[in-house]
Amino acid sequence: MHEQLVVDQSGEPSAPAPPSRRRIGALEALSLGLLVLLIFQRQLVGLFDSPAVQTWATIFVSITIQALPFLVFGVVLSGAIAAFVPSRVFTALLPRNSGLAVPVAGAAGVVLPGCECASVPVAGSLIARGVTPAAALAFLLSAPAINPVVLTATAVAFPGRPQMVAARFVASLVTAVVMGWLWLRFGRSSWLHRLRRPNFGDRGRWGVFRLTIQHDFMHAGGFLVVGGITAATLNVILPRTVVDTLASNAWLSVLVLAALAVVLAICSEADAFVAASLSEFSLTARLAFLVVGPVVDVKLIALQVGTFGRSFAIRFAPLTFVVAVASSVVVGWWLL
Amino acid sequence: MKRDVQSVLLVLIGGAVLRISAFSEVYLRYVKEGLRPFLIAAGACLLLLGLIGAVLDGVLRRQADTSAVRQLATDHVPEGELPTGGDHDHGHDHQRGPRVAWLLCLPVFAIFLIAPDPLGAFAASRDRGTVAPPGDSGFSALPAGNPLRLTLSEFAVRAVWDKSESLKGRTVLLTGFVTPHATTEAWYLTRIVLSCCAADGTPIKIEVRGAESLPADTWVEVTGTWIPTGQEPSESVIPVISAQTVRKISPPKQTYE
Repeated sequence: MHEQLVVDQSGEPSAPAPPSRRRIGALEALSLGLLVLLIFQRQLVGLFDSPAVQTWATIFVSITIQALPFLVFGVVLSGAIAAFVPSRVFTALLPRNSGLAVPVAGAAGVVLPGCECASVPVAGSLIARGVTPAAALAFLLSAPAINPVVLTATAVAFPGRPQMVAARFVASLVTAVVMGWLWLRFGRSSWLHRLRRPNFGDRGRWGVFRLTIQHDFMHAGGFLVVGGITAATLNVILPRTVVDTLASNAWLSVLVLAALAVVLAICSEADAFVAASLSEFSLTARLAFLVVGPVVDVKLIALQVGTFGRSFAIRFAPLTFVVAVASSVVVGWWLL
Repeated sequence: MKRDVQSVLLVLIGGAVLRISAFSEVYLRYVKEGLRPFLIAAGACLLLLGLIGAVLDGVLRRQADTSAVRQLATDHVPEGELPTGGDHDHGHDHQRGPRVAWLLCLPVFAIFLIAPDPLGAFAASRDRGTVAPPGDSGFSALPAGNPLRLTLSEFAVRAVWDKSESLKGRTVLLTGFVTPHATTEAWYLTRIVLSCCAADGTPIKIEVRGAESLPADTWVEVTGTWIPTGQEPSESVIPVISAQTVRKISPPKQTYE
């Protein structure tokens, strides 16, 4: 094993000439980094002494730790879909007509208990298995918002206001279905270039299972860290008091809370409690917070870049934001 | 990132998560208690995946290498590029993982080397500490006890929203940390409330009168009585306690409410 590792460390993508065996490879770099960190731990910890940096580090670690079980659940499920569920199952379950498949897939989001971190790899795997992208994207957007765990949390956070649960369900589902249809009309599969998975077909079912999990986790996990860094930074530099002063204007308050949902990147299973505590804002503004959060936030955008590719995320995320805000305003005006 | 390194990284992440959830209670600094079984399961999954990957990839590579060497003899495939590599037309090679995966080292280092402290006075001072109104159920009678031990949330919501003024005349015992006011001499007894993780932590602050402020983040037990501000019930009220005693304590295991 040891000799094998040494032989294989040829470093970065292959040079035309056979690379030297003495070049430092990734594994050596990692070991060296670990060694340096262990030796200089005390000095490094000293850098984190200031309360602002400590707070940043706490929030960063907590976002990552909170999302990790859901991400692992998502990539395991996506690995299982890739390895054990034949493509014909999805063609049998979903209506042949793509326009009809979108709302069906959106409503199917009810069955995936989890937050947005789980649904991104699952949606990626569904597309890789031949599900119409429009339907898979509707599922991607609806699953974190309308599953029973999230709806129960919403009911608990807003006692005596069941219309909040109904409004959240309707507005989120409408957002998901509208986005699915928009994709059907305007979307291009070339934007989904990241999704081409390596062909693990020669490794047997369990090999495909393991390698898909590893592949998806490495992509999504790295971008989860990017999202965690962004959210923690915004959380520390953006004083909440500034947000509170914008609560009085009805239209502005909707946009402010929608934007806050994007930058805070709170897990969809917890955002209802945060929305409940934002009591100086109108119910419609808080509905926008609950509808936007699970479909667009900095962590989710990073995950989408990692799973679907940049050209997808820069088009999809802003449009989803607009549709989600519009849908919450209309549903809020109707139900709340 | 090559598969070997991926496996090492998976072992490190799994180990880091297990270290803070299964073998210690450090996870309580970042998330709620209820997440523990899921953290342990996720950590175990990643650790297992890394270990299996390290072993199996070693075996597979030995087989691949034998065939690669055979191929090398005929058409000079560069060493280290396995013939099973898959397509190469979109920027990253699947035999190697994405570069962004290196960032997964950051949370591992943060956990193993720094293990950041729970949120404290710095986070609390950035937020006004609004007390949200309670649900429709109203307030039940306070239990007996002198002093009566209450959480900061219970005290604050009764102080601000209870029209029957159930706190009047009661001596209460509250536990929290010190958050000094940014500009004045005033200070607040503080706890952070988590809904899910530290990113959504919001402070509950109770102004303490009749006692000198201690340094920020000092944990104290305060006994005292409620002082109405005269503006209740309103969201702009920060509850006030008149302190009889302030005693330094060591931080509790669970610092959040």
